Amino acid sequence: MNCKKLLALICAFALALSLAGCSSVVNSASIAKSKTLKVGVKEDVPGFGLRNQSTGAYEGLEIDLAKLIAKEIIGDENAVSFQPVTAKTRGPLLDNGDIDMVIATFTITEERKLTYNFTTPYYTDAVGLLVKKEAGYTGLADLNGKTIGVAQSATSKDAIQAAGDAIGITLSFAEFGSYPEIKAALDSGRVDVFSVDRSILSGYLDDTSVILPDKFSPQDYGIATKLQNTALAGEMEALITKWLGDGTIAALVSKYNL
Amino acid sequence: MGSGPFALFRWQKLFSDYRVFAEGLGVTLVVAVLALLLALLIGVALGMLSSSGVKPLQAIARVYVEFFQNTPLVIQVFFVYNALPTVGIMLDVFSIGVLVIGLYHGAYVAEVVRAGIQSIPKGQTEASRSQGFTYIQTMRYVILPQTIQIILPPLTNQAVNLIKNTSAMAVVAGGDLMYRADSWASNGFLSYGPAYIVTGVLYFLLCFPLASFARKYEEKLKSRDLVQTTAELAVVEEVVEC
Repeated sequence: MNCKKLLALICAFALALSLAGCSSVVNSASIAKSKTLKVGVKEDVPGFGLRNQSTGAYEGLEIDLAKLIAKEIIGDENAVSFQPVTAKTRGPLLDNGDIDMVIATFTITEERKLTYNFTTPYYTDAVGLLVKKEAGYTGLADLNGKTIGVAQSATSKDAIQAAGDAIGITLSFAEFGSYPEIKAALDSGRVDVFSVDRSILSGYLDDTSVILPDKFSPQDYGIATKLQNTALAGEMEALITKWLGDGTIAALVSKYNL
Repeated sequence: MGSGPFALFRWQKLFSDYRVFAEGLGVTLVVAVLALLLALLIGVALGMLSSSGVKPLQAIARVYVEFFQNTPLVIQVFFVYNALPTVGIMLDVFSIGVLVIGLYHGAYVAEVVRAGIQSIPKGQTEASRSQGFTYIQTMRYVILPQTIQIILPPLTNQAVNLIKNTSAMAVVAGGDLMYRADSWASNGFLSYGPAYIVTGVLYFLLCFPLASFARKYEEKLKSRDLVQTTAELAVVEEVVEC
């Protein structure tokens, strides 16, 4: 194959891809018809989305939210199919239509709004720092020149970098695909700090580690839907606004001691 | 198409951040070259052990080859990254890339070299030994020079696989092309599609010329000396197919 033909092939491929992704639109009516709400949730975040090891059931605020939504649009709070997601996989799963929405400690940012629809935040968390007790760190100021382990597709890197710049320390970052990998890197001494939202860190706290008191850039969690599903996004927005107003979400927050 | 997964602004952002990809490509290239040198060194040594006819030496080579061919590269990377530090051995990610990928492909190169040596008629060895050459001298001056052209195509294919396998470094934040692409894609606008396409094209541009060279060289060999070379190639390919 000569170069021109190859180039033409690559261009055709790129064009085909850019035209793809215009699959069918999902809204509450189509979800009600399918009788299943497919929701991407975390399975390792206590209080938000945690899979109970003995029963296999999901528990947490975000799980309850998903059940409330299912009750609202299907009429059955158990008509939910939960799919565990990570920071890395939730976007692509939403894009390819495997799940209808993501309720998985998904932080709202201006840049991400160009890629997905987000509702009004139902919870606000902060980025935190988990370190080994034996290291004796007391706060961000002790971390000059240290390596911070963060999750790919999480907002922690930007948040910590900004906070570090503000007090004039240099930090380096190592990005990993999942939280257990970061914890392993912390335990083996590859990274000095495990940084992600504090709610998520609490799931990785053990006898040898401690969460520092520092809190960085508020992280607003919203329900994310595929960008083209604007009607569904509007319906979710209405539900969240309603539940924020009538105390439903406040009750969930206190139920899980968040 | 204003903000779809392959929207124009994502490509523009990608090309304005081209340095991220260029740096990753640089790391991938350097790791690949060094790992390839290591793999060749190990491969030639082990290939000679396998053809030595001395049982304990053959066993060593066999165990090495089977171990590395039958365990996933990613496990080996994770082991060196996370498990070795617990016993006090802390290698940086660059060294891990060169070492682990070199050791892993050394096993495959060993099989290629062994097959190459076996494809040379036994009479060659017997003749040189009868002239007073030692085993090493026989290999160095008589056998290996003859195997080079016959094993060049499968060796080149190994180099292609090696380049692709450097992406295993990404799981331990290795700074290679795959890692940088992943990192770029998962921050900010979440533009996975364009990042993976561009990265795929870059790997392709590295690998395709090598693979084409291997194919053309092999065809040339076959047409030049049809009877003997084809027979030798058949021996090599039979062993290397996997």
